[in-house]
Amino acid sequence: MLELDRTTPALAGLVSADKPLDRIHHGMSFGEGPLWNRRDGSFLWVDIVGDTIWRWQPGIGAKPLIRPSGKANGLTFDREGRLCVAGWASRTVWRVEADGAVRTLASHYRGRKINSPNDIVVRSDGSIYFTDSPGALYNVGMAAADLQQYLEFQGVFRIAPDGAVDAVITDTVYPNGLAFTPDESVLYVNDTRLGEIRAYDMRADGSCGAMRLFHKLTGAEPGIADGMKVDREGNIYCTGPGGIHVIAPDGKLLGRIRISDHCTNLAWGEADWRSLYITTYHSVFRTRVNVPGIAVW
Amino acid sequence: MVSFEKIAGPYGGPTGGLAWDGAAMLFSALGESRILRYEPNSGEVSVVRKYSNRTNGIAFAPDGALYGCQELSRRVVRFNHDGSTEQVSVLLDGAYHNQPNNLAVDSRGRIWFSDPWSELRASGPQIFPPLAHASVLRLELDAFGKLWTIQRMTYDTAAPRAVALSPDEATLYVAESDNRPDGRRELRAYPARRDGTLGAFALVHVFGGDHRGEQRGIEGLCVDRAGNIIACAGWKRGGPGPLIYVFSPSGAVLESHPFPADEPMNCAFGELGSLYVTTAGGELYRGRLKGGAP
Repeated sequence: MLELDRTTPALAGLVSADKPLDRIHHGMSFGEGPLWNRRDGSFLWVDIVGDTIWRWQPGIGAKPLIRPSGKANGLTFDREGRLCVAGWASRTVWRVEADGAVRTLASHYRGRKINSPNDIVVRSDGSIYFTDSPGALYNVGMAAADLQQYLEFQGVFRIAPDGAVDAVITDTVYPNGLAFTPDESVLYVNDTRLGEIRAYDMRADGSCGAMRLFHKLTGAEPGIADGMKVDREGNIYCTGPGGIHVIAPDGKLLGRIRISDHCTNLAWGEADWRSLYITTYHSVFRTRVNVPGIAVW
Repeated sequence: MVSFEKIAGPYGGPTGGLAWDGAAMLFSALGESRILRYEPNSGEVSVVRKYSNRTNGIAFAPDGALYGCQELSRRVVRFNHDGSTEQVSVLLDGAYHNQPNNLAVDSRGRIWFSDPWSELRASGPQIFPPLAHASVLRLELDAFGKLWTIQRMTYDTAAPRAVALSPDEATLYVAESDNRPDGRRELRAYPARRDGTLGAFALVHVFGGDHRGEQRGIEGLCVDRAGNIIACAGWKRGGPGPLIYVFSPSGAVLESHPFPADEPMNCAFGELGSLYVTTAGGELYRGRLKGGAP
């Protein structure tokens, strides 16, 4: 059974309390990077501190997929089904090629080493967007080999299909989760330090327009703006105090899915994209929702 | 009376650790997470490092490498000449230590550092609890010069705030400074024994308190060539006020100088025997002690 905070009755249309909350894995130091693989029906996530990308198959269980992982953080697939990784402590974005080789897609911006890629999403045009917070330079237990911050900002980058790396957002303090609206006209970015979700209108060339404050997270419980995903009706699911905050397309809080452990991220899964996988510091949880999430390539 | 002159600041937040590089004084503007460099001939201040995540104590090793105590990241780091920064080591018997704030490097390149508990929230998720003790720890390189290990050196401290070695490295001075009511505020001299451990400490000085409040203990230490200990202590709200002390190794108070700014933080000798002092108010001061020779 799910613990729900129903801030508005509309939450019932998205999440039902009678759904189970299954714990499908336990024992990580810091879970993150949840990702459903539609091609083989498996689920991937990372343990940042444990330096491992994990793979779980229903009925079989979990095995390390890549270890060490450069303390990988956010994961996604590109349109060809290649695993794309926000390389937290490697300070790169890297991709696993069809033959298993690892290829670095981004490591520097204008000659300077980037901070530490946090989360990642691929747009339908094949471009990759990632947040570049500096956590691997500062956080205890997640250290990069080189701890020096060289960039004067902590923003969001775009890797164009031709490989060019551009800064599309530079006004964030600690950008973390990011997700597009279903029509990809708006990019949502949350900021852990500011405790808010921002919305940026997308321009035709893939750059981001002016920022507008979309939502301020509320709640006194442990939990921060970290992972964030959007469903097919445009509702936003974002980690925050006490669990997962469900926010309507107009920016109003509908309610919360309460999680007892500290939530770090979430991902849609299963063939109908109606399962919600949730990573916490120590566990992976799974529940079911009524509206399917935006599919991952 | 020794007069201290303000030569830089105030910066945002306190200034902390100091290290003389042979021509200029490096100091930590720790509230701004920057390491700055005061050049005495020109009086100019330049930036050595940004984004230092509240690096406080800094010190040069015999090989010229600069090490620092990154308080908010719970580690000692090395600032490399190419601009990069590396962590040295972070685990004591498999556990993350506390929040290093002050250090001294000996002639063998071993790094002695105070590892107090802190009210400052360390960066990132709070998944690694502090140690059950707050001690002086020592980093040492292995025989191949590659792998650092950390060893616990004190077993009787609860608030170590500053460390300094005597010129012959036979004595480690430790400021045990808990400025809360009933906290211990002591300057201790630990003999460094041949087996690499520390012996029982001798008390060099004790700070008291009265109905007006506690006398603030020592936050920063340095040692002159004669082996006397220079200490930054005191505050305006209790006791004799902010002071720079000069103790003989046996504990005689050779000099004590009222300091113009509240809560002097750290001190180090610079050019021609001048003493540089940082403050809780984020300034850099300079003066000259009577004893003269650094």
